[in-house]
Amino acid sequence: MSARKQTLVWLQGLTCCGNTQSFLCAEDHLMDEFLDKVEILYHPLLNDEEDPEYIISDILKTNKKIGVFVLEGAVNLNDKLADDIKKLCILSDYVIALGNCAVHGNIPALKDTNVVGLQYRRTTKGGLLGADFKTRSGYPVINISGCPAHPEWFISTVLSIVSGKLPALDKFGRPKEFYAYSSHDGCIRNQYYEWRVEAEVLGRKEGCLFYRFGCRGPMTGASCNRKLWNGISSKQRSGQPCFGCTEFDFPRENMWRTKYNMGVPAELPPGVSLRGYIMASGILKTFTPNRLKKRLFDEAE
Amino acid sequence: MRLSKHTLTRLEGEVKLKLFWSAGKVKDAYVAVPHFRGFERILVDRPLLDATVITPRVCGICGHAHLRATVEAIEDAFKRGGYNTLLTNKAKLMRDITLMLEIIQNHIKWFYLYLMPDIVRLDPKLEDKFTPVKGSRWREGLRASNYATKALATLAGQWPHNSYIVPGGVTSDPTDSDIVSVESLVNRIIEFFKNYVVNLDIDSYLGLKGKEILDVVGGDLGDFFKVCRDRGLDSIGKSYKRFLTGGYIEPCVMNGVKTKRTCKFDIARVYEADAYSFFSANGKGYSWAKAARYNGMPFETGPIARQVISKNPRVTSLFKVLEDSVLVRVFARVDEILTLSLSILEKLKKIDLSEDSWIESGIDMDKFSGAGVGVVEAARGTLIHKLAVEGGRIKSYDIITPTVWNLGPRDDVYLGVVEKALIGLDSEPFAYIVLRSFDVCSVCTSH
Ligand code: SF4
Repeated sequence: MSARKQTLVWLQGLTCCGNTQSFLCAEDHLMDEFLDKVEILYHPLLNDEEDPEYIISDILKTNKKIGVFVLEGAVNLNDKLADDIKKLCILSDYVIALGNCAVHGNIPALKDTNVVGLQYRRTTKGGLLGADFKTRSGYPVINISGCPAHPEWFISTVLSIVSGKLPALDKFGRPKEFYAYSSHDGCIRNQYYEWRVEAEVLGRKEGCLFYRFGCRGPMTGASCNRKLWNGISSKQRSGQPCFGCTEFDFPRENMWRTKYNMGVPAELPPGVSLRGYIMASGILKTFTPNRLKKRLFDEAE
Repeated sequence: MRLSKHTLTRLEGEVKLKLFWSAGKVKDAYVAVPHFRGFERILVDRPLLDATVITPRVCGICGHAHLRATVEAIEDAFKRGGYNTLLTNKAKLMRDITLMLEIIQNHIKWFYLYLMPDIVRLDPKLEDKFTPVKGSRWREGLRASNYATKALATLAGQWPHNSYIVPGGVTSDPTDSDIVSVESLVNRIIEFFKNYVVNLDIDSYLGLKGKEILDVVGGDLGDFFKVCRDRGLDSIGKSYKRFLTGGYIEPCVMNGVKTKRTCKFDIARVYEADAYSFFSANGKGYSWAKAARYNGMPFETGPIARQVISKNPRVTSLFKVLEDSVLVRVFARVDEILTLSLSILEKLKKIDLSEDSWIESGIDMDKFSGAGVGVVEAARGTLIHKLAVEGGRIKSYDIITPTVWNLGPRDDVYLGVVEKALIGLDSEPFAYIVLRSFDVCSVCTSH
């Protein structure tokens, strides 16, 4: 049985191509399913045409309808490409901004105010399409943020659309399925976090990176420790703090260091009160299990 | 003179090619990179260590090499400031292994996803294998490239865009089972090379020399060789035959600069000319790339440069007969898939997991001032990062990417390396293939 495939057009703006590369790292079964169910009309790396520009100009000329339009990369408003992208968005049932650059401009937007994402510029709503933009199907831009975005977040979202199950979005237009979790959820350092055991140095299995090395895990919407990267690991599992790369203020300043105000981390996870944090700290530090104070592979006494 | 304009995709970003034809041949060629993001500007005024998060984002396919170049530039600045960075053997080995894995994933993808779809146009019989998405080998190639990215992520957390290399070492603390997992993935790459790429057992392959390589190698590389010989790709695409390798990966990549003889690489002889880039205000600019020069001359960098300078017996012997043609340039890149994989297996054996991954420098990052340079080998060749820092903040940052060496514009005396290789070609498909043989990355070129 071959159902009609969903058509997809993928364009790149100002980009490092990291979201394409991340996409190509998808687990085999997801990639196979994606290539089975989606007809890629255009992707700069997967195209088979001698004259790729022709495909896009043909779509624009004939007002051809597109199932899903994907933008990777930020948009420079002074570039002719900006108009083409706008038109393609209008011709599409669903529009996906894939990766931070397409979502909010990201790094290319830091020092150039003409650079925007599809529906945001950094933390401000608007972007190329305007705050109220809706596609032909009445859907806002689906933002799959991340620098880069995890391949499964993207592929699953497209496959949901293909099967008619539209993803529920959070207030930033991101699928809740992936962004309602924080990147701290599922981190293997959670016990250290709970008991306030900090990683005093880098390069070790033990300790939580929140207290010295600036981990943004609890403040960052992302499923990095639920859907592992490359099917196998994550930043925190390999000793790096989360840099908050799915959020709209990425990249922040001083990303390897936790800022403190009078002995307390300047930013606490959402919903944690300063008073509660201080009170709990005293108790937790007094009763920390011995196991968490030792190297993991040392025998308990 | 007739002018033809082309946009090349199926590479990292997009490249514009302008060809001037006369009497059926390319008389002049301009290669231009249209997009610009401004990384060097963005880094200025930031706290020094933030560079380890930002520079990998220059490039989605060689970001790990950028990370390592940043960290080496920082460590070099520390050293010049009198603080020697201590690195354990374990950290050094892990840095080399993940860098090589990034190069390997690139080469596999490049051959199967980028190059061969162009070769199909010269021999439609290859369509079933190499047509994008549908081709059987296209799919196998992608699968195999992910053995490398998965191995990389096992040590570095994720790929693309991790920051696991830091001044003083690496952040991860792998266990025995992680090392076993990396080893098994690298063995799958070697298996793939044997069964698909060359269809030859590894020992026989390693012993090949000169033209014998073209006769004996089968598999997908053999398919490529056949088209090369039928269509003359073994004699086109030649450029200056001047090679440069700045980075060093013991024992399979030596650094050096080769003209007739091979000399030591000296960073002081590198400079960037911008007369024909948009950075200069003289109106001659046609690209966002600058031109990198060594001793005032253009040099080719990349696998062919690395392997000739490192005296790889297969690549050198074939280079002796077919010079820097498309065929040899491609062969050098494909050979690295195996050469580097074998070297990773050796390095894995040497890792002592009881050593520290990271040694703290004790330097006050908020006060540090100084300057440093990092030189590493990325998939496409020599990558250089130069930085200056004042009171803990970046004062200036300069990146010379491999593709700037190869793809950068001309100066008043010399054409760019790729531009030179295009002169004299007699068809557009050949021009595409010659350009592609350099493994073009436009996002790196302009950053
Ligand atoms: S390292 Fe980060 S993500 Fe992991 S437990 Fe600590 S705060 Fe959470």
